[in-house]
Amino acid sequence: MMSWLLILLPLAGVLAIIVSPARMAKMLALLTSLVVFGVSIAAAVGFDGWGKGTWGLEGAFNWLSRYGIEIQVGADSVSLILVLLTTLLLPLAVLGSFTSVRDRLREYYGWLLGLEAAMIGVFLARDLIFFYVCFEFTLVPMFFLIAIYGSTNRARASMKFLIYTFTGSLITLAAFLWLAWSASQAADGQWTFSIAALTHHATTSLAGSEQAWLLLALLIGFGVKVPIFPVHTWLPLAHTEAPTAGSVILAGVLLKLGTYGLYRFMLPMCPEAVVAWAPVIAILAIIGILYAALICWVQTDVKKLVAYSSVSHLGFCILGLFALNPMGLEGAILYMVNHGLSTGALFFLIGMMYERFHTRDMREVGGLAGRMPVWAFFMVFFVLASVGLPGLNGFVSEFLCLIATFSAGDMGAYPGVLGPWYAAIAALGMIFAAMYLLIMVGKMVFGPERLPAGSHDDGTLPRDLGAREITVLVPLAVLCIVLGVQPWLVIDGTSAAVADTLAVYQPIFEQLTQQTGASVTNALVGGTP
Amino acid sequence: MTSAIAIRIVEMLPAVPAVPMADVVEATSHWWAGFILWCPLISLALCGLCAAFRVKSKLPAWITVLSLACSFVLTIILGNLEDVPERIQLFEWISVDWVGGSFVANFALYIDSLTILWMSFVTGLGTLIALYASEYMETDVGKGYARFFSGVSAFLFAMGCLVMGDNLLMLYLGWEGVGFASYWLIGYYYRRPAAVAAAKKAFIVNRIGDLGLALAIYLIWSTFGTVQYNELITHLDAGTFAASYEHWSVEAIPYLLMLAAFGKSAQLPLYVWLPDAMEGPTPVSALIHAATMVTAGIYLIARMYPFFLLEPTSLHVVAWVGGLTALLAATIGMAQYDIKRIFAYSTVSQLGYMFLGLGVLTTYGASYHVFTHAFFKAVLFLAAGAVMHGFAGQLDLRKLSGLRRMKGWRIVAWTMFIGCVCLAGFPFTSGYFSKDAILAEAFVTQGPGFEALGWIAIFTAFLTAYYTFRVWCRVCAGPVHFEPGDELHDDGHHDEEHEFHPHAPRFAINFVLVVIALGALLASVPYFMTNEVSEIKGGWIADMVNDSTAAAGIPGHEEHPGTIAHDAGHAHHGSILGMDPHVAMYWISGVVGGIGLFLAFWLHLWRRQDADRLRSWLLARAWIRWLPVAMENKWYVDEVYHALVRAPLWLLGHIAYGFDRYIVDGLLVDGTARLPRLIARWFQPLQNGLLQSYAVTMAGGAALITLLMVLMMQFFEGGSVQ
Amino acid sequence: MTLQLATTFSQLSLSHYLVLSGLLFVIGLVGFLTRRNLIVMFLCTELMFQAAAIAFVASGRYWFNFTGQVFVIFILTVAAAEAALALALVVLLYRRRSTLNADDWMELCE
Repeated sequence: MMSWLLILLPLAGVLAIIVSPARMAKMLALLTSLVVFGVSIAAAVGFDGWGKGTWGLEGAFNWLSRYGIEIQVGADSVSLILVLLTTLLLPLAVLGSFTSVRDRLREYYGWLLGLEAAMIGVFLARDLIFFYVCFEFTLVPMFFLIAIYGSTNRARASMKFLIYTFTGSLITLAAFLWLAWSASQAADGQWTFSIAALTHHATTSLAGSEQAWLLLALLIGFGVKVPIFPVHTWLPLAHTEAPTAGSVILAGVLLKLGTYGLYRFMLPMCPEAVVAWAPVIAILAIIGILYAALICWVQTDVKKLVAYSSVSHLGFCILGLFALNPMGLEGAILYMVNHGLSTGALFFLIGMMYERFHTRDMREVGGLAGRMPVWAFFMVFFVLASVGLPGLNGFVSEFLCLIATFSAGDMGAYPGVLGPWYAAIAALGMIFAAMYLLIMVGKMVFGPERLPAGSHDDGTLPRDLGAREITVLVPLAVLCIVLGVQPWLVIDGTSAAVADTLAVYQPIFEQLTQQTGASVTNALVGGTP
Repeated sequence: MTSAIAIRIVEMLPAVPAVPMADVVEATSHWWAGFILWCPLISLALCGLCAAFRVKSKLPAWITVLSLACSFVLTIILGNLEDVPERIQLFEWISVDWVGGSFVANFALYIDSLTILWMSFVTGLGTLIALYASEYMETDVGKGYARFFSGVSAFLFAMGCLVMGDNLLMLYLGWEGVGFASYWLIGYYYRRPAAVAAAKKAFIVNRIGDLGLALAIYLIWSTFGTVQYNELITHLDAGTFAASYEHWSVEAIPYLLMLAAFGKSAQLPLYVWLPDAMEGPTPVSALIHAATMVTAGIYLIARMYPFFLLEPTSLHVVAWVGGLTALLAATIGMAQYDIKRIFAYSTVSQLGYMFLGLGVLTTYGASYHVFTHAFFKAVLFLAAGAVMHGFAGQLDLRKLSGLRRMKGWRIVAWTMFIGCVCLAGFPFTSGYFSKDAILAEAFVTQGPGFEALGWIAIFTAFLTAYYTFRVWCRVCAGPVHFEPGDELHDDGHHDEEHEFHPHAPRFAINFVLVVIALGALLASVPYFMTNEVSEIKGGWIADMVNDSTAAAGIPGHEEHPGTIAHDAGHAHHGSILGMDPHVAMYWISGVVGGIGLFLAFWLHLWRRQDADRLRSWLLARAWIRWLPVAMENKWYVDEVYHALVRAPLWLLGHIAYGFDRYIVDGLLVDGTARLPRLIARWFQPLQNGLLQSYAVTMAGGAALITLLMVLMMQFFEGGSVQ
Repeated sequence: MTLQLATTFSQLSLSHYLVLSGLLFVIGLVGFLTRRNLIVMFLCTELMFQAAAIAFVASGRYWFNFTGQVFVIFILTVAAAEAALALALVVLLYRRRSTLNADDWMELCE
């Protein structure tokens, strides 16, 4: 019931916005998104799967039962955390758009709420068809948000975003359909699209080569979304051109659809192929980390810089996922949340600056600490969260991902296929991240004040951040600290789910070690209490 | 320690059976020790509030001074209560559990005597320097005042985590935390591009070291399965992993830790950030960049000493890097004119001594030098700060003279003198004893070229005495003469038209100077105090070092802690000129320091024109010209870095960006997207926009299809079309 | 019944109807291809529609399969709706450029 509520409430909000006058749109959107947030909190409080790995909030609705298609929803701890992230970011995105969007308000807030429904649908889907519908439907609102409300190059950006990610996920759809067909063959023509059933089918009856094809198809679709190195180029463009709220949601949630897809489908569905291909994916992730970091270094457009930094940061998340041990997976899940918080906040801040000075070029505007101290404080704070300063959230996830990758070969029951070299090279990204983000801070926040010629403060906005803008940032900042100091909130909540996901890997590793004759348990770790 | 470790170091010293470390006690009753950390944290929050509400008084300073004083008092109380290493759990931080293993890093304190030693001078000097800053920063009241003191509080909190943390992750938290606080405070004058650049440089160079620490933590965890000190030490102690001591990771760990230590403690090749860090306000330079934060590297190695003993070669590297850094920085320091920069290079140089001490197996000497150095270097910086404060930012020693004869400046001049005496290692000052403890050990301990290293260190001691008194003679002695700097405060008192009046320091600055100068003098006392147990010199400082992990595993420390090669029980007893090193060193360093001192007085007080004459003489000779030029240009290290690291990376960044735009995005993505369009170009003429031509095509197409169908039907069914 | 009806229409075989339908279609087609006036062109398409309708109704009658007649009714409805839409579009286009020449709208040619 809660699940349906979570998906349908935003849609009801859309309806309400359509039938009411434009001046009420933003308040309606805020109200709806806050109610949805409240419902998600209630769902999280009532959820009894924390730390247990069980599913809750389940529901099903017959759609095309002849083909085994029914809308199944439900959540485990991982998806619920991502739902919470979504429902948290949405009211903030709405609140952050009050002054930046001036016309076509009803469409704008309608699309935002529609996007929320689709994103929640993705995280709650227990059925492949419903998952895919929601996954693709996220493109439509985002397309319009970029195409209508974006900046100068928006037409190209929205088109590229749509076509690129859509093409990628078509291949994933093909894989899903093939998987369902193969399952129906095995079950005497009985079709099902239930994720649980198909996962079981994939792990139990697919051959190694079939799994490899499945992995490839899933990697293309979800890899574009994450994005992984060679297929990342839609991201900087889309981020730069999108309106502030669009960038926030894009970075905060939409990219997580990719990593969530990898976690939910690739890891449990094709374990043998994952073990075989993890080094390749990890190398792509490492290339992404360093390459995007180098690119960040020479950017002058601050929004593009943060966009490329997402490519770099999510490389760590991918590494954590493919370290194939509990620390890595916990780190990756935390990374999804933390990246959403800190990078989302950075996009908010850049948007607030852009509203005042109408430029994102670091050569034209900078040294704003004196003029906008509150803004400067938050900027430095979230940059530090992003850089991974211990005590803030980014550190915990980055650390867990890297140490998991580093010790992937040495971890008792989970001897992964990555190893120290992967982590050592990826860790260079920590230095690069400090370089480019501090260069950004050095130019934007500190130094002598530079204001763009001809343009000055937009008279409609206060000089420094106003109460509304501070309200947007404070929840994110508080969460950054809370998750930095008490990461067990996420770690303990998801530990059992993660263990379940990894359970399929144990026979494979045993088989592997029997083949190579190596000992599974490292003598050094054997003594760990 | 077990014989397993002893075997590894047999090349250096004979193995001596070791006594296991005292067991670590879970001291839940000492929960209040957490307030040593919480006090600065509360102060940070309150100062933040002051900044948010734009408090226009000295309130932030008083909050900070009070909270740091509380921390200091608590540290002292804790130090008196503590007699065995204890662990105090505060809360759970990062812990991941799974079947068959776990990763635990809690927010917990590990209190042993090394912790107490470090925390006592960190909090003590922190309190005093905050008091000093309350006057020093007063022109910024209502502007950056709260920001400054929140930075100081943040630093103290982070430093507390670094020193008191119970595991490597807490250490890492503090490690990055002090780096950030240093970034914050160096960049305090954020409108000055030089300050921003220096702050950035400090953070990034430190990050390189942090990478080493991070990798070391990964490696330690994946090798030993824990990051908690007590468990690590217990494992090493019990020889649990003796079989794995041949594992590559055991050899790699000390080098990674070393990288971290060299970054934070400004050693070759990562020292370049420290001189630039002098862009920060002077109290910051005194507290962070001289007394406390930069000694974190020494602390790290001392804390992790057993790992270094497992891989003795790493200690040789530490010794050599330390010795060479000491020499290099001293030569640069000789040729600078900015007082703070000279002291900064001197800090680098003294830190080099400390690493030399660690490398030659005297953790006692290194820690003692950290302790004494914290006091006398703080005095020097604070005195320089008072000068800077009074003379509108003037720091050029050629433009200041005769301070001791000016009214109101006597305290500054004479406390600075005390600092100089200690730094120069004048006989019977604290610096004299702590430096000698290290120098003598370089001759005692066997190692590759350690004797040469000892002579290098002695030569450096001579240079130190020279450049130290060069500053004092120029600034404090001689005829009264001064030019103001360019930081005139725009409070109306001294506009540029009016004559400049230096304003002499008032109570807070003078009081703090006197207290710390006394501390610097008294820091020599522990040397004379006799150890209660083992009756050797070194007093409570030696005790504190030897009761901690810093001495664990040094063979023989049980018999004669600290100065391990002190008596005849030592097989390879070194000698200098046929004398016992420790005795000889008193004479040698006294004489060497005296020569340096004399030279400084001659060239910079009695006959100042000789100094200029010497310089022009050197510059006129082609064969020696490079030396002063290179020294004045800091051996071009920054330029080398720029050419070797920054420029290539910058270029690489542009290449990557170009590659991304034109190859990945342009060629691959857009190219693929253009493919359908290219194919469509063949058919484009059909799309001429004329309705009728479409109709003709359509009709023709329909006719064609009909024809085709008819033909096919005839072909397949033998012409039976209905 | 077959016999009865066959005698009634004995003079007119199916081919007559088909020839008529073909003629109508060709007239429509030629008109569509040669004229430039949008309304005339539209009328020509209607002509082609009706040609198809005659063929349907004749064939349905010939084979006694009433699907053909149903289809004609369907075509008529669609044609009516289409006529309304097309004429509305034509009016709109005329308002824009005050011409009915089809060649004046070539924007779709890239």
